Amino acid sequence: MFAKRSSKFAVLATASVAVAALTLGALPAQAFNPRSEAGVTATTIKLGITTPLTGSAAPGYSKVPAAMQAYFNYVNDNGGVYGRKIQLTVKDDGYIPTTAVANAKSMSNGVLAYVANLGTANNNAIAKSPVVGLAANRIPSIFINTGYSGFADRTKFPTMYPIFPSYIMEAKIMGQYIKENFAGKKLGLIYQDDDFGSDALAGFKTAGVKFDVAIPYASGSQSAAAGAGWVGKLKAAGAEVVVMFGVTSATGAALGASAVLGYKAQWILGSVGGDATTLKALGVPAAVLTGSIGASFLPGTTDTKDEYIKQFQDVNAKYNAGASFDNNVLVAMNSAMLTVEALRAAGKNLTRDSLMAAIEKKGATFASAAFSPILYSPTSHVGYSGYWFGKYDPSGAMLPDGGTYSLYTTDSGAGAVVKATIKRPAMPAKGLPNNS
Amino acid sequence: MNNKLIKKISLVSASALVAVGLVSIPVAAHASAPVCQTANYVESCGGVTSDGAKYATMVPANFNGTVYLYSHGYRYAIDAPALGYKVATIINNPVPAPLPNNDPTDTTVIKYLLSQGYGIAGSAYSIEGWNADAAIATDKELIDTFKTKYPNTKKVIAWGESLGGFITQALAEKYPTLVSAAGLACPALGTVEAELNVAGDFLWGMHTFFDPSIKGHNYSAGAAGEAEAQADISKILGATAEIKASLTTGTWPHNSGAAGTALAAIPPRSALLLVGLMAGIPTKSAHFDGTTGPGAKNSAAYTSFALAASPALAVLENGAQSAILGVLATLDLERQTGGAFYDNSKTDYASRLDSDLTTYNAALSGNTAIAGMLAFLNPANPAAPRWTATADAQTKLRALVQNSGQINVPTVTLTATSDPAVPAGNTQWLANKYVAQWAAAKAKAQAAAVTSGSYVAPKQMFLPIWNVAPTSYTKFDGSGAPDTSGPAATGTNHCNFTAKQWMGLADILAKASTDGNVQPTSALRALARKAGGVVDSRLQAPLLPFYGNN
Repeated sequence: MFAKRSSKFAVLATASVAVAALTLGALPAQAFNPRSEAGVTATTIKLGITTPLTGSAAPGYSKVPAAMQAYFNYVNDNGGVYGRKIQLTVKDDGYIPTTAVANAKSMSNGVLAYVANLGTANNNAIAKSPVVGLAANRIPSIFINTGYSGFADRTKFPTMYPIFPSYIMEAKIMGQYIKENFAGKKLGLIYQDDDFGSDALAGFKTAGVKFDVAIPYASGSQSAAAGAGWVGKLKAAGAEVVVMFGVTSATGAALGASAVLGYKAQWILGSVGGDATTLKALGVPAAVLTGSIGASFLPGTTDTKDEYIKQFQDVNAKYNAGASFDNNVLVAMNSAMLTVEALRAAGKNLTRDSLMAAIEKKGATFASAAFSPILYSPTSHVGYSGYWFGKYDPSGAMLPDGGTYSLYTTDSGAGAVVKATIKRPAMPAKGLPNNS
Repeated sequence: MNNKLIKKISLVSASALVAVGLVSIPVAAHASAPVCQTANYVESCGGVTSDGAKYATMVPANFNGTVYLYSHGYRYAIDAPALGYKVATIINNPVPAPLPNNDPTDTTVIKYLLSQGYGIAGSAYSIEGWNADAAIATDKELIDTFKTKYPNTKKVIAWGESLGGFITQALAEKYPTLVSAAGLACPALGTVEAELNVAGDFLWGMHTFFDPSIKGHNYSAGAAGEAEAQADISKILGATAEIKASLTTGTWPHNSGAAGTALAAIPPRSALLLVGLMAGIPTKSAHFDGTTGPGAKNSAAYTSFALAASPALAVLENGAQSAILGVLATLDLERQTGGAFYDNSKTDYASRLDSDLTTYNAALSGNTAIAGMLAFLNPANPAAPRWTATADAQTKLRALVQNSGQINVPTVTLTATSDPAVPAGNTQWLANKYVAQWAAAKAKAQAAAVTSGSYVAPKQMFLPIWNVAPTSYTKFDGSGAPDTSGPAATGTNHCNFTAKQWMGLADILAKASTDGNVQPTSALRALARKAGGVVDSRLQAPLLPFYGNN
């Protein structure tokens, strides 16, 4: 009796083991799922980023990969992530979506995840490219450098984890700011004529802001001549307050033309295109930038009283080959820190799935420099949700209105814009995450 | 037979072929036993099948028992004088093996197969045009005839290109015991309706945006219809030439009509790109990679060309090829079905484009321009009427033989990812079918294992080899103008395979016929690389719009 039961059990067990053991190996090429440990060895973690190092969007954003690698090197020099050193593969896409897809494809088998890929169109192209198979192959794309609201849709983009507040949120918050501070003024808007800009239009509409003149530009078409054309339209419309919702090179074109043509308006710069260091490098006179209003979810880059800023500046000085510390570097290092926290939270048995699960389960507790809370959860891929406003001083530093940071938060829907209490996790000692 | 003699046969045979050419293969006048002649250790035979298809076979003295049965691709059903094409010439010249780079004088593949001891066979079909129903019967009869003539035949490897791929797949589905392995190069697959919808969408777009006098469908009967088709080709090539010239001027083609007025602020290149995306035409072409520009990468000229111009120029270059095939194939099938079968009266182009509108947003000139173009194409716009089919023609079209997608024998595809005429989405359709077939086989095997205690994994019977276009290959002259004088990039154009690629595919099929499967072993992957392709389980081509999104 016992022998019979044992024999039957043995047969079933053998069958089960056989099925389990042979399933993966026997799958056809099309049904084969990527090895979950792609990009991970006993000693290294490989991550990939495709971002513009050249082309129309390169000014400023080209500093992102080096700044991220600088922070990773700092972590690597302090033991890495459970002993593994982080390596970042960097690919230049020139802000051209088809190139971004080719880059993503070339890295897809060799990296654990993409991190901080830049641009709405580029991320969308990667996500929806059958060649890359981002979702089908369960490739995480984490802390992407875009605030397009659609990427938080877990159904459409199950492996993408945006971190910026959405452009809809930014426009809603900016819209309220405009209504409170510039009621009755003639309003102008310049925006990138794609999903980046359509989010802005949706946000302003929800906020109840109507522009007297709205000027779209196709991505890549920004230039000094284009800037002159925009300013001409703004002048003709008599716009007194102008919102610039584009990439930094477009902001540079607009402000540069404004200076040349003697057009004076109150500029409000969206967070994407408002880095003062880059704008000055593009030739924007300090006089034009001074007094402009900007928005950010991170502390001001010159705020050395902030523990994160101080720490990141130290890392930048030691590991980033003398790069000036600007908003692009700050954003990059902040995302790099979040990445390390996510890798740690995923545990020692690091896989693509464990990484994504860790972000969903523990992402809301990650320490970061942002004043806004992180809203990740098993049912949410929304990252930050708030902004503060400030003005650029003659040095290019953006200082908070009234001297203190006032955070406003909202959602990407019809929710109200509310003034929020800033409750930020303390920075881990020496800026080195120790979470699990 | 010793190795020395084999080598001698190979060399002599090869040189003999070059000397005599394929036309020397004897051809019988009507259905009969093959007429043969032997020269230089190769027996060449010609004959006619019962349906009137002329065929040719070549068998070396050291025949190893395996014959490659070749099915050629689509040939126009009517003469095309402008292209120097005559049906009578085609139908009287059976081709027993692929012609590298579509060069009728290149016998490299024939020589290679004969030198390996393989037999080869192929027909010119009984009719030209879309002829799958007839061709399957022709191929079946040719196999029987060959086996009768050469009783020591052990294996038939069926292979074909384009329409010939469709025929080969259909043959393997219908007669799995006759075929040991199947090779589908640049194949059309599934249903001819899917192919013709690509053509229809493109032709309707060209008609609506650039020249309302382009007929595009519902051609007249007889010679009048042929004249309409020839005129359409001229008009399409004329419009694309004007669009190319408009890159600097932004001027719409002179026959654009209402669209040229309504959309004048939008560059016509953006409208052409939209049409290409609607139809599913690749945005990489023989000379345009869609990613690079002239000069330094940081220059405005580089970004502007790469982002805005290159994808449109790729569609322009691809579209010229697609349009000729599309027009003549539409005429052909309308004759076969008795009327207009293409119907876009319910097509939601905006929904279909979806992610393309983001990826190519800049090339399409931004959301505002996209909205304007889609509004113009809206069915409610009287200036952009949709085309409707006659029910009877559509029914007849759908009654033509279709591929079920069932893989019965080891099957290998060789597909260029940027094929403009028969897009790679055809192969993806078959790949998707096989995923489902394999999953069912696996489930069955698992269920059996629970009972038997022994799991026997299903054999992998399908292997897609992708001939991937490089990321960057566009060349520019000193002035920054694109240089299109060089050869087409690999992975582009239709059935643009070299002799090396064809021979690589032949080697893979030989191995598959021996192994009885196409498990992607390192040896097979090496052969795939030899064929100029990659075995990449993660690569998925966009499905044809007819088949939906993948």
